[in-house]
Amino acid sequence: MFKTLSLSLGLAMLAGSTMAADTGYKLQVDGMTCPFCVATSEKALKKINGVKDASANLETGVINVCTDGSVRFTDDQLKALFLEKGFTYRSMTKTNTCSAADFIKANENTAG
Amino acid sequence: MRKDFQLWVLTALWLCAFLIPIGAVAAPITFNTALPVSKNEILLRQQFLVTKFSDRLNGMKRDATVRAGVSVLGYGVTPKLAVFGVAPLVNIDREIGTMNSNFTGLGDATIFARYEIYRNDSPGKTIRIAPFVGATLPTGRTGKTGDGSTDGFAGLIFTAASTSWNFDSQIKYVANTRANSFARGDTVSADVSLQYRLLPNAITATTNGFLYGVIEANLTQLQRDRLGSVINPNSGGTQAFLSPGVQYATRRWIAETALKIPVVNNLHGTALAPDYSLITSLRFNF
Repeated sequence: MFKTLSLSLGLAMLAGSTMAADTGYKLQVDGMTCPFCVATSEKALKKINGVKDASANLETGVINVCTDGSVRFTDDQLKALFLEKGFTYRSMTKTNTCSAADFIKANENTAG
Repeated sequence: MRKDFQLWVLTALWLCAFLIPIGAVAAPITFNTALPVSKNEILLRQQFLVTKFSDRLNGMKRDATVRAGVSVLGYGVTPKLAVFGVAPLVNIDREIGTMNSNFTGLGDATIFARYEIYRNDSPGKTIRIAPFVGATLPTGRTGKTGDGSTDGFAGLIFTAASTSWNFDSQIKYVANTRANSFARGDTVSADVSLQYRLLPNAITATTNGFLYGVIEANLTQLQRDRLGSVINPNSGGTQAFLSPGVQYATRRWIAETALKIPVVNNLHGTALAPDYSLITSLRFNF
């Protein structure tokens, strides 16, 4: 009984720590004006190991990115990435969480 | 008469070869955009074009229909530099009086490069300026599906784009050279395009693409052709077109169609003017 309880608690803690490791970022990217721009940007981000999802808001130019926590974005890295895609990276905000609500909210204003 | 017939068919070919728009973003249908091609990205555009010419000269019917399938391949070398190749497959059906002919084959191919020199991005908006330079190569059958000369061209594109509308304008100069004693006149053109998002009114999660209404205007000044040292009086002039159309743009492809209608056909002498051009195309990104 004690063994089962300990195992269950251990698994729950492990699951909890895995979920907590997910990290969200909000990237401000300027110059995206069309569904294709959104697709190009999201595709480029999803190619990065550790990125679980990316969803862009075309009107505001904000891209929500969900990572598994192993990714450490830098301004230089993102600037170079979006320069190659033909857009202008401005800034990022780390959100520490990857709530589904962020993606739903972003998707409500995302073309394509 | 046969030579004159050949000359106005070459003019018809020029009108078709002139349409080399590129880009898989919302963009003009009849000319270029300055919007970017990402580094290492490949664009493919397949365009279908029908141009009809007809009139009656001294009671004699003159008629030509040019059908072209134009394949455009673009590649982003760097974020600012993109290169393009254009290969047209052309069918020309022509009739003048009792003379009839029909030719099908590869037309004159075009290669060109575009380089972005100015960019101003803001959320959901961008302004770009990009010059371009290129050449049309004599890959067609001279006098039938091509004019045999290697011609150079250069120009400048201005684009202002937002999530609701795009505006593009272009100026272009084409320097035509001589081949087999025939030299087509140089041309200078100015084009503008407005693409306005008709649907959806608001961008939502269920939006699969944008439907744009498109209106374009094209103005071209053609210098006279030369045959040997003789100026062809039945060549050159001024043409202006209006091209209404629609465009549907998704994340990976664009479908579009436009009707290019002449509003000014101030051509010299008996030069044959186009009645209309119908342009339909698909663009893909890889």
